[in-house]
Formats: sequence, C-alpha cells, structure tokens
Amino acid sequence: MTNIFSIDCYFISLLFLVGFSCLLISKNMLKQLIGLEIMSKACLLAVILSGAATNNINFAQAIAITMILIDAIIITVGLSLLVKLKNQL
Amino acid sequence: MTYHLVLFVLIILLALAAVMTENILFSAIILSLVSVGVSLILFTFGSPYAAVFELSVCAGLITALFISVISLMPKEKNLPKKHHLKSILISLVFFIIAVINWVYIIPFFESLSKYPQLNIHNYPLGQIIWEDRVFDLIGQICIFAAGVFAVKSFFYRQNT
Repeated sequence: MTNIFSIDCYFISLLFLVGFSCLLISKNMLKQLIGLEIMSKACLLAVILSGAATNNINFAQAIAITMILIDAIIITVGLSLLVKLKNQL
Repeated sequence: MTYHLVLFVLIILLALAAVMTENILFSAIILSLVSVGVSLILFTFGSPYAAVFELSVCAGLITALFISVISLMPKEKNLPKKHHLKSILISLVFFIIAVINWVYIIPFFESLSKYPQLNIHNYPLGQIIWEDRVFDLIGQICIFAAGVFAVKSFFYRQNT
C-alpha cells in the first residue's frame, strides 16, 4: 500500500516531466516559456509538499512566495526579450 | 484525499493539453487553468498565502502578459500541419515514462517518507518572512530591480 506522500511526489514528477519535454521538444519560444512555467509550478508544489510533510508549512510558504516572484520576473524578462526580437526581425 | 488526487490528475491533463495545443493563445489560457488548479492544491495543503499569491500572480499577471505578447506578435502564415504523428509520439513516450515512474520512483519516495518532524516552534508566516529570512527579501528586491532594468533596457528609446 503506497502512502499519499509518494503518490503526490509521483504526480509532481509527472508534471515536471511534461514541462521538461515541452522545453526540449518545442521550437517556439513562447511554448518554451510555457514549459518553464509548468516546471516551476512542479517545483513549487514539491516545496509545499515537503513543508507539509515535515510540519514546516509556514517556512515552505515563505520560500514559495519567493519562488513565485522570481518566476514572474523571469517570464516577464523572457517575454520582453521575445517582443524585442520579433520587432527587430 | 480523492479531491486531492483528482486535482493532481486534472492539472497534469491540463498541462499536457497546454503543451500539445498548436494555438498559443489557447495554450496560455490553459496554463492559467493549471495555475488555478495548483492554487487549489496549495489550499488543500494548508498554505493559503502561497495559494493566493499563485492565483493572483501566475493565473492573473502572467496570463495577461502572455496574451498581450501574443497579440503584439505578427501573425504567422498557415503552415501545413505535420505535428499529428509528433503529438502521438510524445504522448506514447509520456505514458511509458509514467509507467516506469510508477514502478521505480514510488518505492524511492516511500523510503523518503520517514522524514523527521523538524518544526519545534511553529512560527507564524510574518515572523518567518520579516525576521528569519530577511536576506530573501533583499534578494527579491535585487531580482525585481534587475528585471525592471532589463525590460527598460530592452525598450530603450532615445529622445530626439
């Protein structure tokens, strides 16, 4: 009988795999950014899951908020780079 | 528990749909639905602040950014569709890896689940953010400033 922690980890690894495959396969840069976003969501879920498992949920929330902010800035810079590139071509 | 697992399965299916859809606008909208699902899962884990942050930033701000960038980009010409075989191949490889994961990765995570209960003092979130991890705040401010300056330098316009 598997416990709920391992099943959650299994689903999170699948989500990470989806984002990673999108990042590898896709040639469109917007799709690659979407893959990066999916990967970061999987990492966020892993951080929160480990925090919930070790009874440190508030600590995990603090790190998750940092992760979300950094992810938003990375996506913003990537999208602005893409717009600049498309305008120049 | 069932609600939890249904949300996880829904998120993975939505993520697969976002990856496989050829229309990028649909892909961005489905990505926002993935964010909504992730924030619901965060609520079930008992972390409401991270869930609200995820819902407002990832499902709101980033989706708006994606949609505005897609509307700014020039329309691509209609190319003949050649991706049908590719999407079938991707889903087949994904299914095989999922089965292999079920066999090999779940026992590994079960061995990890004998985790130590680290938290002795259950500090509130505000104390952790503003007192214990102040250095994180400095890093966040630096990264935020770096992002703003990067965007400003990309769209620099000289006054004539």
